[in-house]
Amino acid sequence: MSQKPLRGLRIVDLTHVWAGPLGTRMLGDLGADIVKVEAPLARGPALSPPGGVGVFAGGEPGTEPWNRQSVTIKLNRSKRGICIDLKSSQGKDTLLELVRVADVVIENFSARAMNNLGLGYEVLSDANPQIIYVAMPGFGSYGPYSALAAFGPSVEPMTGVGALLGYSKDQPRNSAMALVDAVAGVSAAAAVVTAVNRRSETGRGAKVELSLHEAGISLFGEFLVDSQLGAQHTPIGNAHPRYAPHGIYPALGEDQWIAIACPDQACWIALRDEAGLWTGVEQFDEPSHRLAHRPALDKKLSEWTREQNKHELEQRLQAAGIPAGAVNTAPDVLEDAHLKERGYWVDQALDGQPTVRYPGLAIKLNQKERSVGRPAPKFGEHNREVLQEWLGSTTAEVDELIAQGVLLDRPPG
Amino acid sequence: MTTRVLEIGGLAAGFCGRLYRHAGADVVRVDHAVPDAWVSERALDVFLHEGKRRVASADATLIRQLAEHADVLIAEGSPQSLAKLGWYELSSPAIRVAITPFGLTGPYKDWQATGSVLLAMGGYSYLMGDPDQAPLNLPGHYVQYQSGQHAYVAACALQYEGEGNQTADVSMWEVVLSLSQFTTVMWTSNRQIRQRHGSDFGLLYPISMFPCADGWFHVNVVPTFWGAFTHMLGMPELETDSRFAESSDRVLNRDLLDQIIRERLGSKTKAEIMRLGEEARVPTGILLELHEVLADEHLAVRDFWQDVGGVRCPKLAYRIIDR
Repeated sequence: MSQKPLRGLRIVDLTHVWAGPLGTRMLGDLGADIVKVEAPLARGPALSPPGGVGVFAGGEPGTEPWNRQSVTIKLNRSKRGICIDLKSSQGKDTLLELVRVADVVIENFSARAMNNLGLGYEVLSDANPQIIYVAMPGFGSYGPYSALAAFGPSVEPMTGVGALLGYSKDQPRNSAMALVDAVAGVSAAAAVVTAVNRRSETGRGAKVELSLHEAGISLFGEFLVDSQLGAQHTPIGNAHPRYAPHGIYPALGEDQWIAIACPDQACWIALRDEAGLWTGVEQFDEPSHRLAHRPALDKKLSEWTREQNKHELEQRLQAAGIPAGAVNTAPDVLEDAHLKERGYWVDQALDGQPTVRYPGLAIKLNQKERSVGRPAPKFGEHNREVLQEWLGSTTAEVDELIAQGVLLDRPPG
Repeated sequence: MTTRVLEIGGLAAGFCGRLYRHAGADVVRVDHAVPDAWVSERALDVFLHEGKRRVASADATLIRQLAEHADVLIAEGSPQSLAKLGWYELSSPAIRVAITPFGLTGPYKDWQATGSVLLAMGGYSYLMGDPDQAPLNLPGHYVQYQSGQHAYVAACALQYEGEGNQTADVSMWEVVLSLSQFTTVMWTSNRQIRQRHGSDFGLLYPISMFPCADGWFHVNVVPTFWGAFTHMLGMPELETDSRFAESSDRVLNRDLLDQIIRERLGSKTKAEIMRLGEEARVPTGILLELHEVLADEHLAVRDFWQDVGGVRCPKLAYRIIDR
């Protein structure tokens, strides 16, 4: 058994979509005992599971497509999974039994969903006064926006990011990748470890509230501070407000690109010499001149980069001490030698399914080989195991809950 | 007992220290390099370093002495610069976290990086921006601050464990890679490279940003919200219109749907669109300029701002509320 730092920390995980499962995956990779509690239709009905972005591991849906959704598998490793019908009274009772022996409950439903189920913080903390309850509603549980329906992409422009990201002030863009979910997910992991360490000192449970909205603002908040100090910030494409060159430049081939930055004079001199450009144009050695003549600088640099392979140029510029990196796609990184040597990727297969490579945990402890936890659970895979281990339920008691439809291991429909 | 944190280095360590400060730790920061920042030094002081004590020297002997009195060390830099600071000889404090661009080991460990370079290498840039223009990078310090959060999670997890002499190696490139949405699975499952589509999500429609009378708005119409969205448009008949009834139909006929959205909502103000979105229960957002975020009533009601010398600074993403 590997000795991971959060071993023994019991987390009831009611999260879904991206932000919540991302946060609990981090905690699971660090050793927490995560029990993912899914609703009966969390993975869609059995006979018509959702398609769309739910691409299937190995490319095929197989006979149990609800167990092969790649995103679900990617986000839910290092967890066990159970399915409880929380709309039934026995389902609620079962969840409360789990909460009584857990350390943390985490959910990212809408602000009113848990109260509507009769499972709000008051109820959970009555069951276990030391419980740490983490709620992740889009705009928080109170305030004028709290009732708004929220997903990461629609929350993003309300955080100030929309006023910063884009080609120009007239061409703002959305990241189109649910950026604030990624922020909120990592923030949720930070919130949990903060709260459990606090409880270790005080003995007190607590409610932790984390809104997607505030998570986004908190990560880009320095621009809000700077604007109060007189700075003007608007979208400026790939430029940097304080130095040049800084951008994404074309490389050889269709839609191939490389990022190059010269944050200091040493980098500039190295780039100037490596590219063999600007010979006899000494004024570009002056940082303020480069900033003032950024379009001309970028044009000339682009003419040079567009004739070169992005990976070869990356290697060459890095060898010269210049921050540069190819604009990578998935196949570029999945076989990368550096990442392989560091043991970053996680290769996992569920029963009878092909092995697939997934992103790993970006934390390496004690320079030891990384080992994350078990593959993502199949739907309801650990119903019996978790109830017996956490609650001491007998086989007959679990059988009864299955017979009543309170526990499921196959989606209805 | 108050946790003593020694923070060395740039923006990522600074963000980690910010999280520790808000948790009540005693944070001492050693400034050893000028950060590659998008905002003024004063803004960074307010945002990252409020309440920390600061030391300007990066002398290895001093750092070792400070480290002996700390519980947690967060050090950011290149592996070479950390070596100069004595990282590899340190045996205290018990918890030591290094944040480097590419990790402490591996063929690229001495490569140079900025946030923009790491976003590019990590697969973010390729997805952002228009298909007929250069990919876009995020402004600011997303990579550094997400890495700072990772360092914080690692350090707190090791504190929770409570067993001495532990280290963590946080690679900023790996942080970006670990926060991908569909990038790798679309390739490993379907041999598809996810493309960029401007502000469109691309895989479903409409999940995008649109112009309106006084700015821009965003709607996130995943399939379960299609019916509600037709009411927001004031065209409930579209719900069963064969051109749009199924999710795949809406993707196929996106240009037509785009035109309808612009016609129905483009002349309305952001406030009107928010009201329509709220009434129809459609996930809706409006593009707020920075001054609008600062004046936002919702954030004021939620007491989100911390006053730092007369400047409003965001609090953390999370708040802990006693029972």
